[in-house]
Amino acid sequence: MTIVQKRTPVRAAVKPPGSTPTMTGSSPRRARLPRTRRNLWPYALIAPAVVGTAFLLVYPLVRAFVISLQDYKLAELINGNAEFVGLENYRTLFSDGRFWEVVARTFLFMACNVVLIMILSTLVAMMITRLKKFGRTMVLSSLVLAWAMPVIAAATVFQWMFNSEFGVVNWMLTSFGFEQFDRFPWFAHGAAAFVILILLVVWQSVPFAAITLYSALTTVPVELHESARLDGAGAWRLFRSVTFPIIRPIFMLVVCLEVIWTFKAFVQIWVITQGGPGDATTLLPVYAVQRALSSQQYDLGAAASIVTVLILSGVLVLYFRQMFRQEVQQ
Amino acid sequence: MRTRLIAGASALALAATLSACSSGNAEAGGTTTIDVWLMRDSVSEEFQAEFEKSFEAEHPDIDAKIQIQEWDGIGEKVVAALASNDPPDVIEIGNSQMSQYAASGGLLDVSDKVDDLGGEDWIAGLADPAVWDGKTYGVPYYAANRVVIYNTALFDAAGIDAESIDTRAKWIDATSTLNSGDVQGIYLPGQSWHALAGFIWDEGGAFATQDDGSWMGALDTPEAMAGMEFYSQLQALGHGPKDSDVASPPQTDIMAGGDVAQIISSPGAAGSVVAANPELEGKLGFFPIPGKTADKPGAVYVGGSELAIPAASDSSDAAYEFVKALTGEKWQRELASTMGYVPNKASLADAVADDPGAAAMTVGGTENGHSTPIAPGWAAVEAQNIIHDYMTAVLTGGDLAGEAQKASDEITRAMNQSD
Amino acid sequence: MKTLSSVRRAPLSFAAIVTVLACLFPVYWMVTTAFKPTREIQSKVPQLLPSTWTFDHFVTAIGSDGFGLFWRNSILVTVSAVVLALVVALGAAFAVARMQWRGRRQFILMVFIAQMAPWESLIIPIYIITRDTNMLDRLPTLTLVYFMITLPFTIVVLRGFIATIPPELEEAAQVDGCSRTGAFRRVAFPLLAPGLMATSLFGFITAWNEFAYANFLIIKEQDNRTLPVWLSSFQNVFGTDWGATMAASTLFALPALAIFLLLQRHVTSGFAAGAVKG
Repeated sequence: MTIVQKRTPVRAAVKPPGSTPTMTGSSPRRARLPRTRRNLWPYALIAPAVVGTAFLLVYPLVRAFVISLQDYKLAELINGNAEFVGLENYRTLFSDGRFWEVVARTFLFMACNVVLIMILSTLVAMMITRLKKFGRTMVLSSLVLAWAMPVIAAATVFQWMFNSEFGVVNWMLTSFGFEQFDRFPWFAHGAAAFVILILLVVWQSVPFAAITLYSALTTVPVELHESARLDGAGAWRLFRSVTFPIIRPIFMLVVCLEVIWTFKAFVQIWVITQGGPGDATTLLPVYAVQRALSSQQYDLGAAASIVTVLILSGVLVLYFRQMFRQEVQQ
Repeated sequence: MRTRLIAGASALALAATLSACSSGNAEAGGTTTIDVWLMRDSVSEEFQAEFEKSFEAEHPDIDAKIQIQEWDGIGEKVVAALASNDPPDVIEIGNSQMSQYAASGGLLDVSDKVDDLGGEDWIAGLADPAVWDGKTYGVPYYAANRVVIYNTALFDAAGIDAESIDTRAKWIDATSTLNSGDVQGIYLPGQSWHALAGFIWDEGGAFATQDDGSWMGALDTPEAMAGMEFYSQLQALGHGPKDSDVASPPQTDIMAGGDVAQIISSPGAAGSVVAANPELEGKLGFFPIPGKTADKPGAVYVGGSELAIPAASDSSDAAYEFVKALTGEKWQRELASTMGYVPNKASLADAVADDPGAAAMTVGGTENGHSTPIAPGWAAVEAQNIIHDYMTAVLTGGDLAGEAQKASDEITRAMNQSD
Repeated sequence: MKTLSSVRRAPLSFAAIVTVLACLFPVYWMVTTAFKPTREIQSKVPQLLPSTWTFDHFVTAIGSDGFGLFWRNSILVTVSAVVLALVVALGAAFAVARMQWRGRRQFILMVFIAQMAPWESLIIPIYIITRDTNMLDRLPTLTLVYFMITLPFTIVVLRGFIATIPPELEEAAQVDGCSRTGAFRRVAFPLLAPGLMATSLFGFITAWNEFAYANFLIIKEQDNRTLPVWLSSFQNVFGTDWGATMAASTLFALPALAIFLLLQRHVTSGFAAGAVKG
């Protein structure tokens, strides 16, 4: 009884499920000023963003698309005068077995990453809610530090940790008795290099996801847990039927963001393996850059990146539907 | 000439508000400033300073700004430079990457200057890649090839006379003898593909062969695979890491440790070894890489550089003066003696006669020098590390024939995709 | 939950410790390697702590050509890109969060699509455009590119923040005679400050890290290079001098780590709350 009384103010402070602070937007209708007044203001306010996007993003994208329809190699980059070849580049791309391998590998990479990131970050987020103040500060601080580590620095450190000769990882594995890891050349094995890149991306992505999910979890009313537990719900059922439905919108949005980010993963791969050994870590963005910068086939590189955008848009139809559902709710 | 769209003035305006700090070729008081890109290790700091001083004394109207570029990622950098409106005026280009730029139209045609520069005497490994469609686009700068650098103290301790090593068989015997206890018979990292190149050529193989204008990877020929087998055999006589090249870690640092009997490198590396460990001063010797029989030294890759002038350079005359001076006899002799390179003309070979390292180098380079395929597509093979990956795959237990087949296919693909 | 005994909390504490270790180890390893003498770095048995601390690697790193200059360039480019993005995004976010207008949905859609832009593949078109406008080799070009890379996310996050500020506050101020902008500036803006700071972190990290454009658009003016390019060339010059490389990485990571730690509270509470909106 006393417990419930103590919690009452908390209950008042907690917003009802479905309108968590992160979801609300500007829920009260009166927030809107009458549409008729000052209706040029919003356009003036978005103008710089629109102009910037038009010149710095849309225009280059259009140029990329045009290049993808041309015969555009080193000579054309230097001298201009590129010829249009229609969809020839796309035909070359699609008839290249290697390209489809790269597409499949990109999906595999994305799937492994997103699943791992979501599982780990949900666990970490739930763990944080259960920690006392000291533990919580410690965990949050270290998450933030890992998050803040610049990609290039992180990639360099991972290279060093997995160095075949003096790397700390080989040393640890060897001293745990796995003699086969003595001087194991991680980056020479396709599968091993792939796994290390996943590890790196997961390491870099979990902090954002975990912190975001944690802040979503803090909006779950404690009472719901209490009552469900009184009903005899186990931990898993509790999560599935109480916690998850509440954080679901945020969870889905984090999933979508991670899909975008891991699909586009490039810098880590470029710094560590450049897509090697062989093709083992060549994903779509790496493939496009290899085509363009290493082989000077700017036309094929452009075609590959246009295809990347299309595939990503397809994957993210879900994301936009989610977003618009939210807009409607507002 | 160039069809270039003028992009929105707003982008410019936006940028202009951010305080532009532009710069360009300042031509104040009749002085022409030229920007020169030389590669890392192409000249020492002292050489650079000395040359700059003398050049500017002779050409008071030219101010030469020399920038040192890194080899890593240089391909993209050169492309970006050649395609820009205001490129550097002189660029050093590695001879194996030369033909793609020669074919691109981004370099100034210097065919009419060849006589002026004494081009009939240029060494072939450098002159050939600069020619495209009958025109010359680059000026040979220097060449270098690999020799065996050995630790005389370790050879003496093992009772081996380096002079007597004149065949592969003797080389393997000697290296096996040296390779005991803490001593590594040879430090040969797994991805030293220029060394592999020599072994393949010795067997009569090649990286790629040309057939009717299209290139085919040739690592899967019996000759090329025999070359790789020899590499594996040699590599096992030391602790060279199987997954890295000579630069990581720098093999000169490893040799400076004192426990490495031999490395394969250009002789100039001896200086870096001594710099890292002064105790080895005077204890390093050189011999040409042994061939299969005693009558012919092992085949070597003749590496080197050209100096080229971008077509869009706005000071090409001043740039030419610079190129002429640096590739002329005086500074070629100086470069050969201070840096230990093979000069760009056969007639200057005497410049390195007193230097044991350069002498060993000249034996291999002049008697059995080779170059990588002269084709615009070759640069892609290097950029994609195809041979590196192949070597590591074989050394770490991969199936030789299968890996060779795979790498050959990749070479074929890479070489034919960018013509 | 407070009634849980310490025994029952043990697995929880263990999990927390594992998380902290997993997060921190790479950072820790970078910093300690930077302080270790070379012979210890190249020892068969890695030491958790340097037996003797040395600043040699930092001296090597800082003493290398142009470190200070590149550091300044990076700061300049990064800060101006972030500030520009914040200013532009603030307007757009305000319009989206507080106003009703035709085209609003389309605008939001545009922002979200912009977030998916494949920047690595746009290097060539952007290079061509930059060349044709004579903007190669200039830091403002980089600023503009970084501005655009960070803008969509900044708009999305700021919109979330603005939405959490009750509009009643501004309305009250307007009733008191403030103009609408005045009301926003005096009332909402101070409340937004933490949000702005948190948002700028994302932009900061992105721009601070960017390598490909910095490498490709800055060609001849080596004095205009930025730190990531320096870091990569540094690795070339020093081969695998891992000590110096780690010292360089530490120096490179330092500003980001410091700012994140300073603003940690906003990052973990405010930023997450706003970001989720995306």
